[in-house]
Amino acid sequence: MPMRLATIDADYFADERDADLQVVGTPAPRADARGHVMGQTQYFEDVHYPGMTHLKMHRSTRHHALIRGVDTAPALEVPGVLRVLTWRDVPNNWYTILRLIGVEPDDEPVLAEDRVLYMGEPICAVVAETEAAAREGASRIRVDYEELPAVFDVEEALRPETIVVNPRHGHNYFTYEGHNCRRIRFGDIEKGFAEADQIFEFTYQSSPIEHAPLETTGCIVKPEADGRLKIHSDTQACYFTLDNTALTLGIPFNRLRVIGGTVGGGFGGKVDVMVEPIACIAAQLTNRPVKYVYSRAEEMQVSSPRAAERIIIKDGVTNDGRILARKITLYVDAGAYSRHSPYGTTKAAAHMPGPYTIPNVWVDAYCVYTNRTPSSAMRGFGVTIADFALESQMDRVAKALGIDPLVMRLQNAYRDGDMKAHRKLVEGAALIEVMQRAAELVEHELPAAYRAMSSTDGRGA
Amino acid sequence: MLQRVHMPSDLGEAAGLLANDPTAALLAGGTLLMPAVNNEVTPIQSLVSTKRLGLEGIAVEGDRARIGAATRLADVGADPRLAFLHPVIEAIASPPIRNLATVGGNLFAWQPYGDLAVALLALDATVMVAGQQGQREAPVAEIVASGVAAREIVTGVEFAVPTEGSWFFTKAMRRKLNSAAIVTVAAVITVESDAVASARVALGGVGRRPLRAPSVEAALLGKPLDAATVAAAAEHAIDDAEPFSDAYASAWYRARVLPVHIRRAILGE
Amino acid sequence: MASTIVQLTVNGQDAEFLAKPGTTLLMALRENLGLTAAKRGCAQGTCGTCDVIVDGRVVPSCLIPVETIVGAAVETLEGLADGNALSPLQAAFVEGFATQCGFCTPGMLMSATALLAENPAPTRGDVVRAISGNVCRCTGYEAIVDAILDGAARARAASTAAAD
Repeated sequence: MPMRLATIDADYFADERDADLQVVGTPAPRADARGHVMGQTQYFEDVHYPGMTHLKMHRSTRHHALIRGVDTAPALEVPGVLRVLTWRDVPNNWYTILRLIGVEPDDEPVLAEDRVLYMGEPICAVVAETEAAAREGASRIRVDYEELPAVFDVEEALRPETIVVNPRHGHNYFTYEGHNCRRIRFGDIEKGFAEADQIFEFTYQSSPIEHAPLETTGCIVKPEADGRLKIHSDTQACYFTLDNTALTLGIPFNRLRVIGGTVGGGFGGKVDVMVEPIACIAAQLTNRPVKYVYSRAEEMQVSSPRAAERIIIKDGVTNDGRILARKITLYVDAGAYSRHSPYGTTKAAAHMPGPYTIPNVWVDAYCVYTNRTPSSAMRGFGVTIADFALESQMDRVAKALGIDPLVMRLQNAYRDGDMKAHRKLVEGAALIEVMQRAAELVEHELPAAYRAMSSTDGRGA
Repeated sequence: MLQRVHMPSDLGEAAGLLANDPTAALLAGGTLLMPAVNNEVTPIQSLVSTKRLGLEGIAVEGDRARIGAATRLADVGADPRLAFLHPVIEAIASPPIRNLATVGGNLFAWQPYGDLAVALLALDATVMVAGQQGQREAPVAEIVASGVAAREIVTGVEFAVPTEGSWFFTKAMRRKLNSAAIVTVAAVITVESDAVASARVALGGVGRRPLRAPSVEAALLGKPLDAATVAAAAEHAIDDAEPFSDAYASAWYRARVLPVHIRRAILGE
Repeated sequence: MASTIVQLTVNGQDAEFLAKPGTTLLMALRENLGLTAAKRGCAQGTCGTCDVIVDGRVVPSCLIPVETIVGAAVETLEGLADGNALSPLQAAFVEGFATQCGFCTPGMLMSATALLAENPAPTRGDVVRAISGNVCRCTGYEAIVDAILDGAARARAASTAAAD
């Protein structure tokens, strides 16, 4: 079988120097491996400062409630407790991480003000001489709640009668250029369904997934003699941290120094900016080094997981397996706050309708607010669950039509020159060749016509 | 918050420390206690270590085995005289944990942990307990059901080593190693003249504590120990169990697979 | 809240320090002695990142109040290499790409070291059992198991060469 070795378009690299590339095919030792095996790699928590203080959070014990009052006095009675921080100690309490690239509105407080929107939401930070004292202090804070109805289902959240989870949005969806969802319209979906021999509609659903990095989220902040704050962090995104922290503190970026880049497992779970701003404020107010590290239980409960998604796919197909129309309604459960989910939802929409050329496509992708733990980035978020749904759909439709699922994928596979639903021209496609090779490797017999197909045969649109 | 760690060198001193301090907790291997001390707000202010109480050691005389309460699980798992227990020990946690966890501590592990306690229940072990009034002995069934008094210290367990071919054990887990029980089955079953003469069947993972399965035992007695008998007896197990749902399995699933694992344990399927 | 003077032998060296009540061996190593190879991953004995060898046995150092092991011999990852010369296991980990984020590596190496001390020629199954308490969330288990088998072979070859 002819294999397609994609020709490299050298025009892309015309301006670049001759790189003398030799790495592919030869083992290149990892630069960090020696430090790892000798125990010399320095993770953020391997830094120790004299006079280190410890920060622990008092967290919401309700899914959705108004805060009627907070009594911090009992925490201060615990020996070793230095300070209790509330939202009043945060110079700019409201933020959203992606404000750095223009996403609005700032929908999340560093510390809760008049309400909590999810179980585990931070309310007060307790700074103490020891971790045990900080934990004890945090446990003694009393919060007077007025419970509100909580919403845990994305479709329930979108019903007009449902309580608004996040008042900063005013409704339970993120607004994309005036729309209640991220939309794709390509061709004429109703015409496609009308021309189809059969219609198949299935629903796919996933649960939140925790990254569970071995090193929990945390940071150490050290006030320097020159007034700057030195932040040792395990963030995956040093500049997100630097810029967001400076904005929250209301100080110039150059007053902060982030030391990071060594991450004990991230997988996307360490791109939110959750610990550094409040630890910086604690360091400023106590003029002491502050350590704030999630316990394993906190990592599991409040670090943002991959979003739960619900995806409904309706396909109009011909009896011989050609997909004429694909209509997708997709819900991303952002939890209580935006974090990276508005971006993930856009990514999910752009990924539709999968690597297939379908003449009529209709996508509504909703970023929905509920009273669950805010979700955020995780390895291919927006795409991974979408692929689960899309490829399950391909299998189910093929089975219903009595067609080899690989043949049906080949029939519909995108090729060079095709126009994708979000109006990007396909180039450098290799899907057909990959499937042909995969079939060969597992000794899956393909009809001759499908063995002869190519991504570059010019038969794409 | 922890204020002190005591290292008493005899039982009397240890009991006294526990008696005089309501915030004191007995520390053996620490695999159950220290996670709470490290991560939670607990009323515990002092720890009383068993380390110097001389409660470690294994003695086997004839068919009687006696294991000190502070004996590490790894030592039980390495003792050739207790080879029948090796699969039980191997099924519990991981080597580092087995190097700390103790026989006595395992009696107080909450389900779905505590597989050795399930085995000891099937063995009908006797538990030695020291208190301020001296030593007492109690059936392991009583200890796993209601624990010991606040100032008492478990000092050891004693049981008869089962005869060749009469010991049965299996533990169903989500992974092959280092996971809690979906269902644990331990049994001592003797056969005379082609009929079951005695049967003690104990279950883990399907109740808030290790449980005996009297319905299964009754269904086995007097019958040939064959596939038909075991399959029929296993169906009765649900009458003795109180399955619960947790991160490892749902109550429904545990109930569903309980007879399967009883069959696997006894028939070696 | 009286502190205790704790004396240990750590990687062959005498160490003496003052420990506050309930200081775990992990925190004593990291904060009193500055030996930070052992990591805090869960502080509940389930992840294996804090595993060290105490009196010949591999144990989670987060579960041991250090006052209870006064006088013990403790081996940590810092003691594995001879200066800059990596141990056979360490070399096998580097060359076998058995590290990624590196956070599980100290515990993996201590579990493997304890295994080889007891069983210089382990089977693949022995290795899998030995590291069953060490979580690698980058899921590099295959490379890690291969590296431990390779490290065992290297150590055997080295001791044969030394015997010749």
